[in-house]
Amino acid sequence: MKNTIKIALSLALVCSLSYASEQFAMSDADREMYAEMLEDNPADIMVANGGELLEEFCGGEAGLAAFFKISEDELPAYIAGFPRYLEEFKQVVGLDQALQGLMHKNGHKPFALKSSDMFDMGSYAKSLANGVKLQIDIDANKHMKEAYALGKLTFEQKRGSRGLSCLSCHSPQVIGGILRTQPLPDIGSNGNASAATWPAYRMTKSSLRTLQRRFQGCMNNALLAVIPLGSPEMVGLEVYFTQEAKGSEIAIPGLKR
Amino acid sequence: MKKTVMISLLVSASLFAADYSSVIEKPNASKIIKEDLLGKATVYTMPKDCITTDKDAIARGAYIFHNLNSAQAGSTTPKGIVIKKGETKQYGNCVACHNIEKAQGGGNVGPDLTGYKAMFMDSGVRDNQFVFQKIADPRIDNENTNMTVNLTTKLFTPKEICEITSYVISTK
Ligand code: HEC
Ligand code: HEC
Repeated sequence: MKNTIKIALSLALVCSLSYASEQFAMSDADREMYAEMLEDNPADIMVANGGELLEEFCGGEAGLAAFFKISEDELPAYIAGFPRYLEEFKQVVGLDQALQGLMHKNGHKPFALKSSDMFDMGSYAKSLANGVKLQIDIDANKHMKEAYALGKLTFEQKRGSRGLSCLSCHSPQVIGGILRTQPLPDIGSNGNASAATWPAYRMTKSSLRTLQRRFQGCMNNALLAVIPLGSPEMVGLEVYFTQEAKGSEIAIPGLKR
Repeated sequence: MKKTVMISLLVSASLFAADYSSVIEKPNASKIIKEDLLGKATVYTMPKDCITTDKDAIARGAYIFHNLNSAQAGSTTPKGIVIKKGETKQYGNCVACHNIEKAQGGGNVGPDLTGYKAMFMDSGVRDNQFVFQKIADPRIDNENTNMTVNLTTKLFTPKEICEITSYVISTK
């Protein structure tokens, strides 16, 4: 299963390569490294560390399932429905925030959202749903509707000293276009299915990053003021991206340039 | 007595209706975003003596066109571009989206600006004022443009926009 996804990913990459030909920023050496890493994702070890952290601070999969009041069998499908509205949180939360709640319940100080421990543990938790299709329900209740609307607004709002929005570079119109040697990715289900492939190992940063952390990267590059992880706007963006990739099979950790 | 009742009430409340809303991180971003929003599309009139054939001015325009910021650009800055110590000056990064003469890794999100003078200026399709406006605030003739806004955002001064414009329409 995992291998099919990996092959699909590398095929997508090869397609964009032939499209971009000499303009593409990956050298032959980079491409070789990418092929190697597909076999052996450097983030596997971080995700494994996340598994140990989940055991220690959240009571492992059993603890997680109990916290969500579901059976362990139901856990993968439930995880594939994040971000979701949780009554006990009184808001739409990402999986990482839900883990903060569980850590608190177990008497631990929650890991900071931006800590590598949280990245590891959150990635492991999401990987429990590997092979399951993203199944967010943005019409589940008014909170989800609002979160989606806020995410869409945040995606489309032009801001920063270049007056750009996420949409400027991620609209269907510009997918496959070249921006400073980078092909503009399709974030939806027919391309990178970003929400299904993050958290991912980012080769250019040599680290495991989450989707929200990746958003911050684009904000930083395009000179949009960087907003903090876990803010309603960030969760909203994650809801938006998850809806765009809905139906794609989760494959964590992903591997990105 | 009263106190114990209250405490036991509190304890039972937290047992039966857990509330995690205050233990998780949920920072506020709305203020950051509000202050960062783009202003209204603005019409500009090109300043007097804006367009120039002065070599140094065109070199500055070219430099801004081809580079992202002073931290990434080469150490040889053209005459007249000064960077304060410890500061990063943002440039236009126009090549990210546009190809043009001698572009390195030019993008194709925006139209190819190679041979712009012959194709667009000499043919009369465009004039100086149009190009100045396009670079200053491209929304004027295309509300949903994907292009950057360079003057309304105060990323550049009118003089800098003049120099970039002069470069784009120059013979290269
Ligand atoms: C100026 C152009 C530009 C803007 C504006 C921009 N992006 Fe990007 N984005 C890119 C490029 C180019 C890539 C691919 C870079 C790479 O391959 O490393 C990318 C990649 C991404 C990815 C990773 C996709 C994947 O699955 O591999 C995400 C997620 C993303 N952007 C989100 C955002 C969000 C959210 C915003 C707005 C806050 C935004 N972007 C604004 C250019 C942009
Ligand atoms: C994020 C992408 C992007 C960046 C960065 C960008 N442009 Fe553009 N540019 C576009 C797009 C898309 C168009 C076509 C749509 C339009 O006219 O609004 C365009 C159109 C233009 C045109 C009009 C061409 C014509 O005659 O029709 C000029 C001139 C131009 N850009 C110059 C610049 C300059 C100078 C810079 C840097 C200061 C720049 N651009 C940065 C995307 C970009």
